[in-house]
Amino acid sequence: MSLIKVLRGYAFTIAGIAIGVAGIVALGAMAERIVRFIEGGDRFVLGQISVAGRGMGMGTGFTAGGMLPAASIRAIAQVPGVSGVQAQVMLPLDPSTSQFMTLTQELVLGVDLTVPTPNRHYPALPVGQGRNLVAGDRRVAVVGASFAASHGLRVGDRLPLEGEPFEVVGILQRTLTAPDRFVVMSIEDARQQWIAKDRLLRTVIASGVAAVNAADLNTGAAVGWRDGEDPDAVAHRIADRVSGVNVQIPSELSRLLRSSTAFFSALLVGIGALAFVIGGLSLANTVAAAVFERIRDFGVKRALGASDLQLGGEVLGEALAVTLTGGVAGVALAIALGTAVDGWAARTGQQLFLFSARLLGGALVFSVLLGAAAAAYATLRVVRLSPAEAIRRGA
Amino acid sequence: MLEARGLAKSYRAPGGVLIRALDGVDLSVAGGRLAVVLGASGSGKSTLLNVLGLLEDADGGEVSMGGERVSGLGRSAASRARGRYVGFVFQSFLLIPSITALDNVLLADRYAHRRGPAARRRALELLAQFGVAARSAHYPPQLSGGEQQRVAFCRAVLNDPPLLLADEPTGNLDDANGQVILDALRARARAGAAVIVVSHRADAVVGADAVYRMEHGRLLAGPPTLEGGSS
Repeated sequence: MSLIKVLRGYAFTIAGIAIGVAGIVALGAMAERIVRFIEGGDRFVLGQISVAGRGMGMGTGFTAGGMLPAASIRAIAQVPGVSGVQAQVMLPLDPSTSQFMTLTQELVLGVDLTVPTPNRHYPALPVGQGRNLVAGDRRVAVVGASFAASHGLRVGDRLPLEGEPFEVVGILQRTLTAPDRFVVMSIEDARQQWIAKDRLLRTVIASGVAAVNAADLNTGAAVGWRDGEDPDAVAHRIADRVSGVNVQIPSELSRLLRSSTAFFSALLVGIGALAFVIGGLSLANTVAAAVFERIRDFGVKRALGASDLQLGGEVLGEALAVTLTGGVAGVALAIALGTAVDGWAARTGQQLFLFSARLLGGALVFSVLLGAAAAAYATLRVVRLSPAEAIRRGA
Repeated sequence: MLEARGLAKSYRAPGGVLIRALDGVDLSVAGGRLAVVLGASGSGKSTLLNVLGLLEDADGGEVSMGGERVSGLGRSAASRARGRYVGFVFQSFLLIPSITALDNVLLADRYAHRRGPAARRRALELLAQFGVAARSAHYPPQLSGGEQQRVAFCRAVLNDPPLLLADEPTGNLDDANGQVILDALRARARAGAAVIVVSHRADAVVGADAVYRMEHGRLLAGPPTLEGGSS
């Protein structure tokens, strides 16, 4: 008997399994999306020591704090164990938007292109289209994938920022983390953006009450450490030796990030558990019911001479084929639905699902193992019946 | 071919009442003989056939086929014995609805003999012999009752079993189709098989070598009379 004939007989069972697996995969893909965001942030903060000026200012993200003057940056570079310092300006693109939803905030990131980026995990942001920034670039920007999608930008387009036109020379690959919403530019351009956005800063500079020159306009700096150095120790050393700075200790920042995302982590565990329980129960129930539904057929086969082994092998083989087919169909269904939803969400630069290989492979393995276990359980129950009893019960 | 001695089987009814479905049944049917067992519903006819065909265990007594004791075997050994010795024709046909008529017939070979292409040729011959060759690729729900029973009969005889057990084989058929099946059963007996037919139809006894009646789990010689005694 061909496999297609067998599968045709189980069409409704396959549909039931597909729906269960689609549920697991869809919920899992949403969880994966959040995990990627949290892991990406964690990886970033563990790749550098982030330093900001003490106090308050327009700086946001990991450079939140006051101004970090050029003298402080030079002092940080002299601290033993430091391998490099890159001055940065990080600002909200639109200062009028709420500051507490920083997870999805659009940010301007200005970096000193004359020094290498010291982040060990992100030495360069991955460019998907166009090119990255190079030293000497002015009035050009590389934008995050979500930012480009939500603003309808392509390489070569013009992006007006505070009245200044910027040419988009590159679009980052989608990282599913914060840089997806970045506008990256030279630090010189970012400083002008800062002045344009910050009326108080303009007033201070114009009044001449404080000696501020362009090189002092930094909201923070990314600091690298030499090979063999403990980044936490280097961070503590900077805090001890350089005054007027806020130093983020990488491990503490990671802990802080994780505690601030604890709600999402708990949500993930809940979603995952719910998906596996609901999807798993649905799948196991469907497979077991499909076996019990055919109890009369198994009685007939036993009457015709089928041994326990033949019957068990047959049922298990069919269950595996049915579960695998249902699993693949479920994965395809989840991907189709997720892609459709993401297509709609992409208009606002969002991506809700992440269908990772580990999720898809795990869902298939899980469904096949569970299907086999459910089929084995049902088969054991069935083969213990006498053929006459099986035929009676199935009548 | 078939020897049964002292078969006993009881059921506990839902109210706790013990029902003796088989009460010391002795039966011997040689190859080439057709035995017909008549009896009212609930008299134990089907239980007798199930026990003789190793479809369920008796509480007591023993069954031998071809001189080999087959009662009390484990599940797999009993399955092998069924595949080797027994062909079944059921009242409700018991074809598997998800596979074609031809595949249903070939099931008998799949579990017992595995002759492959030879079995397929034989199955097609049988289907042609019983006038359902054109329906070989059809699924059971697409067949009439008469056609289904003819397919089921082909399955029962595909392996030329030395023992053929038929439980009310004409119960769900019209007279014409019923006659086809009864004729086929008689032909199997003439061909050398031991055939036992359980039926409520009086015409089933035509051509029978022995006629029995079941009453309250006991097997008695002779057909039932209007008074309920043996003739």
